[in-house]
Amino acid sequence: MDLALQLLFTGIGIGAVYALVALGFVLIFRATNVVNFAQGEFSMVAAYLMVVAVEAGLPYWAAFIVALLGMALLGVVFNLGVYYPLRHRTYLPVIIATIGASILLANSVLAIYGPQPQVLEGWFETPGIQVGPVYLDSQYLLIIGVTICLVVFNFWFFEKTLLGKKLQATSQDKEMASLLGISVSTMIMITFIYSAVLGGLAGILVAPVLFVSIQMGSTIALKAFAATIIGGFGDVAGAIIGGLALGVIETFGAAYISVPYKDGFAFLVLIAFLIFRPQGIFGERVAEKA
Amino acid sequence: MKLTRRDFATGIAAGIAAPYLIKSANAQGATIKIGMCAPVTGPAAESGGYAIKGAKLALEAVNKAGGILGKQGELIVEDDQTTNPGIVLAFSKLASQPDIVGFLGSIRSTQVHAMAPDVIKLGKPVMIGGTDPNLTHMGNQWLFRCRPNDSYSGRVIAEYGVSTLAKKKWAVLHSTDAFGTAGGKALTEALTKLGAPPVLDQGYANQSQDFTPVVLAIKQSGADILGSYFTFENDLGIFARQLRQLGVNIPWVGSPSIVNITALKLAGPALYNTYGVADYAEDSSEGSKAFGKIYRDAVKVAPDNQSSWTFDAINVLSAAINKAGSTDSGKIREAILATKKFAGAEGEYNFDQNGDGLHGYNIVKNEKGNITFDKHIEFND
Amino acid sequence: MSAPSDNMPIPAQAIHSKPLLVRHLPYFIGAAILVVVAANMNFDGYVHNILLQATTFAIAVFGLSVVLGLCGQINLAQAAFFGLGAYAVGIGTTDLQVSFWLCLVGGCVISLLAGAVLGASTLRLGGHYLAMVTISFQQIVTLVMINAIWLTHGPDGVSNIKRPDLFQSSQSYLAFCVAMLAIVGYLVWHLPDTKLGRAMRAVRDNELAAGVNGIDVFRTKINAFAICALLGGLAGGLFAGGFAYVSPDQFSFAESIVFLTMSLLGGVASPIGSAIGTGLLILIPEWLRFLKSVPGLYLAIYGLFVILIIRFMPDGIWGFVSDAFARWRAKIKTPPAANALQLKPATIGGDIVLEVTGLSKHFGGLKAVDGVDIAVKRGGVHALIGPNGSGKTTTLNVLSGLYVATAGKIVLDGTDITHMPPHQRTASGLGRTFQNIRLFRSMTALENVEIGAERPGNTMVGKGDDALTERAMEALTFVGLGSRANELISSFSYGHQRLIEIARALASNPTLLLLDEPAAGLNSTEKLELHELLKRIAAQGLTILIIDHDMTLVSEAAQHITVLNFGRRIADGESMAVLRHPDVVSAYLGSE
Repeated sequence: MDLALQLLFTGIGIGAVYALVALGFVLIFRATNVVNFAQGEFSMVAAYLMVVAVEAGLPYWAAFIVALLGMALLGVVFNLGVYYPLRHRTYLPVIIATIGASILLANSVLAIYGPQPQVLEGWFETPGIQVGPVYLDSQYLLIIGVTICLVVFNFWFFEKTLLGKKLQATSQDKEMASLLGISVSTMIMITFIYSAVLGGLAGILVAPVLFVSIQMGSTIALKAFAATIIGGFGDVAGAIIGGLALGVIETFGAAYISVPYKDGFAFLVLIAFLIFRPQGIFGERVAEKA
Repeated sequence: MKLTRRDFATGIAAGIAAPYLIKSANAQGATIKIGMCAPVTGPAAESGGYAIKGAKLALEAVNKAGGILGKQGELIVEDDQTTNPGIVLAFSKLASQPDIVGFLGSIRSTQVHAMAPDVIKLGKPVMIGGTDPNLTHMGNQWLFRCRPNDSYSGRVIAEYGVSTLAKKKWAVLHSTDAFGTAGGKALTEALTKLGAPPVLDQGYANQSQDFTPVVLAIKQSGADILGSYFTFENDLGIFARQLRQLGVNIPWVGSPSIVNITALKLAGPALYNTYGVADYAEDSSEGSKAFGKIYRDAVKVAPDNQSSWTFDAINVLSAAINKAGSTDSGKIREAILATKKFAGAEGEYNFDQNGDGLHGYNIVKNEKGNITFDKHIEFND
Repeated sequence: MSAPSDNMPIPAQAIHSKPLLVRHLPYFIGAAILVVVAANMNFDGYVHNILLQATTFAIAVFGLSVVLGLCGQINLAQAAFFGLGAYAVGIGTTDLQVSFWLCLVGGCVISLLAGAVLGASTLRLGGHYLAMVTISFQQIVTLVMINAIWLTHGPDGVSNIKRPDLFQSSQSYLAFCVAMLAIVGYLVWHLPDTKLGRAMRAVRDNELAAGVNGIDVFRTKINAFAICALLGGLAGGLFAGGFAYVSPDQFSFAESIVFLTMSLLGGVASPIGSAIGTGLLILIPEWLRFLKSVPGLYLAIYGLFVILIIRFMPDGIWGFVSDAFARWRAKIKTPPAANALQLKPATIGGDIVLEVTGLSKHFGGLKAVDGVDIAVKRGGVHALIGPNGSGKTTTLNVLSGLYVATAGKIVLDGTDITHMPPHQRTASGLGRTFQNIRLFRSMTALENVEIGAERPGNTMVGKGDDALTERAMEALTFVGLGSRANELISSFSYGHQRLIEIARALASNPTLLLLDEPAAGLNSTEKLELHELLKRIAAQGLTILIIDHDMTLVSEAAQHITVLNFGRRIADGESMAVLRHPDVVSAYLGSE
C-alpha cells in the first residue's frame, strides 16, 4: 500500500508534466488543425533560457520571467516562420515543417550550448517532505499545483473572457470568425505565443527534476502527444486527464510489469485507444465528413 | 524520359567521382597518419570532445619526443555521430586512405561491434575503448583494448563489495543497452562465483525520466549493497537523487560513469560516499598523475577515462610502430602484443594474446564530491 | 426504349501501341548498364558502403513515395519496417541458419503484414492519428529490438549476417542491389498508371469523390500502406546482407525522419525524386562532415532545410525540375478522336429504377430527412426540389452512401443498397456529381474520367488500359471537351469542370445518375448547354435524378418532381401538376 501511494504520487507528478505539454499541443491543434511536433523543443529551449538567465546572475523569479518572454518571442517567430507560410496547405506539409523545426531547435541549442547536461536549481530550498510513508518531492508538488491552477485559468480564460471566446470561435470556424470581425491571424498568433509559453513553463518546472538536456523535450513530447490522443484530441480537460493517466499507468506498469518496457506502455495504451475508442476519453466521435 | 536518365547517370557519376577526388588530394604528405572515429555529434558528443583532446595531447608529446619513425604524427578525426551506421561510414572513410597506419575506434562497445567486420577486412590495428569482453574474444586479431574489460569491472565490484565491504545481499542495476547488459551480466557472474548471487537483477531503459519503481524494487528486495552500470549521466543523476529521497542509503559501488565529472555535477550530494570502479584514477600511479597534470594544464578540466584511454592508445600505438620500425600492419600487431610493463595513464599495460592491455580496475570513493583513490585490484587471469 | 441489346460490339481498338516492355526498353538498357558498372567497377570500401547504403535506402524511400506521394498518407515508421526486414535476414541467416532468399522473402512478408495490420487499425482515422500511431509502432519496435535479447541479441545487434552464395563478393552484391533498385523503381514508376495507382491518386486528391466513383478508399489506403511497408522490409533485408551487421539504433525514429526527408527533398511524387533525395541526403552529410566540428550545427542546418524545402519546393527537387521542364515544353498531346459515347444502363426490367421507402436521417435531435418515399421511373428525368434546408442534399448524401440512413430502405434496380458503403453503391450502378465540384485536381481531365470508367462492373469497357482510355475519351467528347482531354483540371473553367464531373459519372455507365445542383454557378449560356446535355443523356435511356434550385431548368427537363420541405415529402407527381400544387407554392413563397 505504501508502495502504491508512492508510485501514485510520482505517476501524477510526471503525468502533470505530460499534461502541461499536452495542453500546448491541444491549443495549437484547435486553432490551426495542426499537430506541432516541435512542442517538446519549446520546453527544452525554455529550460536552457532559464539556465542562461540564472547563470547571468538574475534572481530566480526574474530569470523565470525572462525565459517566458523569450518563449513568447519564439512563439511569434515559430508562427511566422513555420506555420504562417503554409497555412493554406494540407496538414502534411505543416507536420513535416514542424518536424524540421524541432530538429533545427534541438541542434541549434546543441551548437550554441554544447552537449553537457545542465543543472537547474528548484524553486524551493527543501527538496521535499515526508508525509507518512510517502516522500513528496517539492518540485513535483509545484508542478501538480501549477497544473491545477492552469486548468482553472484555462476554464476562466476560454469561457469567461472575450479574448478566450474569440480564440474559441476561431478554432471552431475560421470563416465564421472572420465574418464576425475577429482577426483570425491575430488569434492564431496569440495561440502560438500561449502554447510556446505553456511548453516553456513545463520545461522550466521539470528541469530541476530531469536536468536540462537536449533530449529532454522530445521524450516528454512523445508521451504528451499520446496523452492528447488518449484524452480526446482537441479537448483541454482531456489533455490534462490523459497526461495524468499516462503518468500513472507508466509508473505502475514499470513497477509491476517491466521496467525496461516502461516507454512501451504509453504507446500500447495509445494504440489500444486508437483502435477501440479513437475519440479518446472525452472527445466527440470522429466527425463524419460530408 | 531520356533527359531523366542522363541526369541520373551524371548525378551518379559525380557521386562516384567526388570521393576519389577528395582522396587523391589527401594522399600526399610526409606525416604518419592515425585515424580516429569519435562522436563529434550525437548523444555522446560531449565525451567525444574529451576523447579527441586526450589523443591530441598524446600525439603532441610524441611529436615533441621525435615523432613516429622520425616523422610527425598526424591525427585524422572522423565523426561517428554516436551511431553504429555512423561509425561504419566514418571508419570506411578512414580505411580508404591507404596511408593511415593505425586507428582509434570507439569507447562504445556496440560501435566496435558494428565496425568489426570492416576492421577484419582492412587488417590494420585498431585501438578500442569498448569494454564488452567479447570484443577481444571473437577472433578479431586487429582489435587492441586500452581499457580493462567489463569482466574485470564486474569482478572488481564484486570483490570489493564482498571482501572489503563485507556485504552479501546485492541488488544489481544496469541499463539495457549493450554496455549495461554486458556489465550487469559480468557482475552477476562474479557475485555468483563469490557465493553471493544478487537478490535483485534489474534493467532499465536509457533516458528514463523517473526511477521510483526501480528504487522501490531495491528497497523491497532487502538488498544491503547496490552495484550499478549506468550509461548516461542524467539517468544516473535522477536515480541517485530519488534513491536518497526515498531513504535508501546502502553502500553503492558503480561502474565508471558514477565518478565522471558530469555525473558529479548533476547528482551532487546524492552521490557522496559512493564507490566507483575507475579505469582512470588520478592518484593510482605515476603515469596517471602525469597525465592528469598535462590534461589539466591544457584543457582546464579534471581528467577522466574518456580522455585517458585515447591518450594511452596513441602512446601505445606510436611506441609499437617505433619498436616495429615499420608501418607494416603485421609487425605493428606483434609489437603491440609484446608491450609489457608500459606505464600509461590508465595503469600498467601488459598486453595478452587476445589484445587486452589492462587487467584490473581502481576503486575510488566519492568524498563529498572529491574523487579519492582507494585501492587497485588487479587480476592475473 | 431502355431495353439493352445484348452483344453490342465493343468499339474497335483505335489506339495501337507497342507493348509496354518494348516502349520502356531504354530504361532496362540503362538499368542493365548500371548493374554492369556496379558489378565491375572496383570501388574502395568507403564508396562501396555509400553506394550500398544509397541503393538500399532508395528502395525504402520508394515505399514512401507510394504511401505519401501517391496516396497522401503519412508514415513515420518506415525505419521500423526497414528494421523488420533487416532483422529477419540478420537473425534468419545467423541464428536460424536459413537461406538468405527465404529470409528476404520472410522479412518482406512480415513487414507487409505489419503494415497491413497497422493500416487496417487506423487508416479509417487518417491524418494526425496515423502520424501518431506510426510513431508509436516505431517506438515499440525499437523497444523490442533492444529488450528482447533472446531474439534480437538486444543492443549488441546481430553480426556476421550472411549473403547469398551467388553474390558473395561486395561488387556482385552491390550489382544485385542495383538490379533490385531498378526493378522496384520500374514498378513504382508505373504504379500511377495502373488501376491501383489511379485509385491511390484519387484517394489523395479527394477521398469523397473517390468513394462515389467506385473506389474502396479504405482498402486502397491499406494497399498503399502495405506496399510501403513491403518495400521498407525488402530494403532492410538487402541492407542487412550488405553491411553484415544490424543493431537497434539503425532503425530508430530519427531514421524514419531521415527517410521522410529524403522522400520530400527529392520529390514525393516520383521514384526519380526518391532516388535523388536519397542520394543527396547520403552524400551531402558525407561531403559536409567538416561542418560537424561544431556539434549540432550540421543537423540544425538540416532542420532548416526541411522547413525551406517544404516552403519553397513543395514538390521536391524533381518536382521543381520536371515542372520547369514541362513549362518549357509546354506542348500537350492532342488526344485522338473518339467514337460516340454509348450508354447502356443495366436493367432487370420493371418500371422503377430507384425505390426509396421511409428514408430518414437524423442528426441527434435534428430530423434532416424524415420518412421520405421516392420512386424514380426508368428512363426519365426526375427532379428533387425544395427550399433551402429542406433536406435535398442530405437525401442525396444518404442515397450515395456518404451518410448512413437512420431508417428506411433504398433499392436500386432490384438491389438493396441501404447498407452498402459508397463504392459498392457505385459498383451497383449509382453515379453522382457534387454541388461543390469534387474532381481529382492533380490529374488531367482524361485521367479523372478514366477513374469513373474503371468502376467495377462497368460492362461498357473492354480489357486493358487502351479500352479504358477510349471509353473516357468518348465520355469527354460527349460533353464537348474531347479535344482538351490531356489538360490538367486547373486549366478548365468552372462550367467545364462541372461537365468533366458529369463525364466522369457517364463513363462509368451508371444505371442511375444523381446530379447535385448541376446548374449552380453556371451562366445562362452554360445552363442552356447543360439542358441540351441532359436531353442527350436522357435520349440514351439513362435515368437521371436531379436536384436544383433553377426552376426553369427543372420544369423544362424533368418529367417528374418530388418536393421536400423540412425533411418531409410534401408533393410528388408529374412536373406541371406538382409546380401548381398549393403546398409547393406556399413552401417556396413562404421561405424564399
